[in-house]
Amino acid sequence: MKTQKKILLVEDEEHLCLLYQEELAKEGFKVTVANDADQALEALRKDRFDLIITDIRMPGKDGIELITHIMGQRKDIPIIINSAYQSYKDDFMTWAADAYVVKSSSLDELKSRVKELLGSQ
Amino acid sequence: MIETYGLYLGDVERDAPKELVLLSIIAQSYFQPFSLQDNLLVILTALTSGSGVGFNRAMLLRAEGGRLKGEIWLGPATPEEASSIWEILSTPGIGYLEIVEHNRSLLSRHGGTLTDTIKGLSFPLGENGLHIPARAVERREIVMVKDGRNEPEVDRRFLDVIGVEDFLCIPLVMRDEIQGEIILDNAFTRNPITERDIKLAAICGLIAGNYIYTATLHKRMLEMEKFAAMGEMAMYITHQLRNPLVTIGGFTDQLLRFEGDRRKSHRNLEIIRAETTRLEDIVYKLRRLLKLEQKPPAPFDPGPVLRAALEDPGFQAKSRGRQVKVRLPKTMPRIMGYPTQVGEAIRNLLDNALDATPEGGTVYLLASGSDPRLFIVKVKDTGRGISDKDRERLFTPFFTTKERGMGLGLHFVKRIVESCGGEIEVRSREGKGTEFRLCFKKEERGTDE
Repeated sequence: MKTQKKILLVEDEEHLCLLYQEELAKEGFKVTVANDADQALEALRKDRFDLIITDIRMPGKDGIELITHIMGQRKDIPIIINSAYQSYKDDFMTWAADAYVVKSSSLDELKSRVKELLGSQ
Repeated sequence: MIETYGLYLGDVERDAPKELVLLSIIAQSYFQPFSLQDNLLVILTALTSGSGVGFNRAMLLRAEGGRLKGEIWLGPATPEEASSIWEILSTPGIGYLEIVEHNRSLLSRHGGTLTDTIKGLSFPLGENGLHIPARAVERREIVMVKDGRNEPEVDRRFLDVIGVEDFLCIPLVMRDEIQGEIILDNAFTRNPITERDIKLAAICGLIAGNYIYTATLHKRMLEMEKFAAMGEMAMYITHQLRNPLVTIGGFTDQLLRFEGDRRKSHRNLEIIRAETTRLEDIVYKLRRLLKLEQKPPAPFDPGPVLRAALEDPGFQAKSRGRQVKVRLPKTMPRIMGYPTQVGEAIRNLLDNALDATPEGGTVYLLASGSDPRLFIVKVKDTGRGISDKDRERLFTPFFTTKERGMGLGLHFVKRIVESCGGEIEVRSREGKGTEFRLCFKKEERGTDE
């Protein structure tokens, strides 16, 4: 049996975290939640992840700062930006991410991007 | 020896040279908030007052939509009015400000004024073979007309309106953009227009042109700011609406796929209900953004309002684990404003203070009525403080550092305080805490004197 892929979800909206966790678990992934960038960096120090999904607007460090930090340490983990804003797509720094998914009430796009990047389709 | 003077030296002596008087008059306009109408009126007054340049009448035409249009014509309408005005103005003790005031009242008078006779006067700009007065500004030259009836280049209709043969045209041009024109004459005294008069009028023309240009730039800037703010607003609203919508949509999908777990279904419905309430709250706040109190502020006792904010159950619950220190004067003066909204502002600041303060920290509500005119309320905390970068945008609508905040709270607070005629200041040090200082006007009492 293949080992379960681990996803780090960086999102501060409680209900969204729950939704993503459940929906991605159904697809066979194990999701760890970090509520802000500092928690995410802490989780990355302690554990190994196969993929990161991050919001951009968060209290404290924003998602772009988080990506910059991660890029400095671990270039190999694919990152998906999941933001309510379409407009951040134009921000130069978001190009560093592997995918940009605008938050939508259908999680289909997010799920297919996750599968694509984890090569599990 | 050290001598000190106030920044503004006041009126110069009556017998001072005209140039100095003019400079002093124009300098006064810089001590007032910028108002194009007032500033132009000051220039026209400077041109016509006896203590200024001393023309009898000054007409202002403004360039608008490719035409030169009559706007203000200052001066007496008849020789009788002229002599009575000059009599009033030569009364000892009548200063320049009184003259401006007199002219302002003249402009607001309806009927029988010179200004009435030029409303509707309009000359096309930018055509070949233009007649005076449009030609002066088109060619950017000062034009002195003498014996106008015998000059075919002078517009006949204009001669009929102005009613004199001799007059001076000063073009108002700034950065090569045509702003308008001032036309001066000595209809009543028939004094000849001297070279010195022309030079002084030219300086006034430059300044008037600059005023109009500045006002145009100011207007453009405000429009751009409004536009930028609207874009930002749309962006924040998108964000605020999208999170609850994603949650509602996602959990509804789970319900539609009904996976047989009744407890989970119930939980999903509860989440959907909560997010719907949140959407309602957003819509309510957006509506509030567009509508604040319109009535004039009225005096009220701030004591009950401050105490009610402290007794608010939400505040009580949230303040657990933090110290709340309160210092209110025993007797409080009545202050100007709206009690309900001031209460809302105080609750909002206290709530923010608690948000920023970790357990073990302190939140203060302090008030003081020791200032003779102001009642000061301070909301202080020993929380995380605000960075310089964030402080600049603190009161901007939709600016927030909280994920679930809409960024409208402090914007409302500022608007409430200002609508009461008060002021709000903020001091903050990162890691040390923040202090909001609200200055409300005390009720003015006529009995004190």
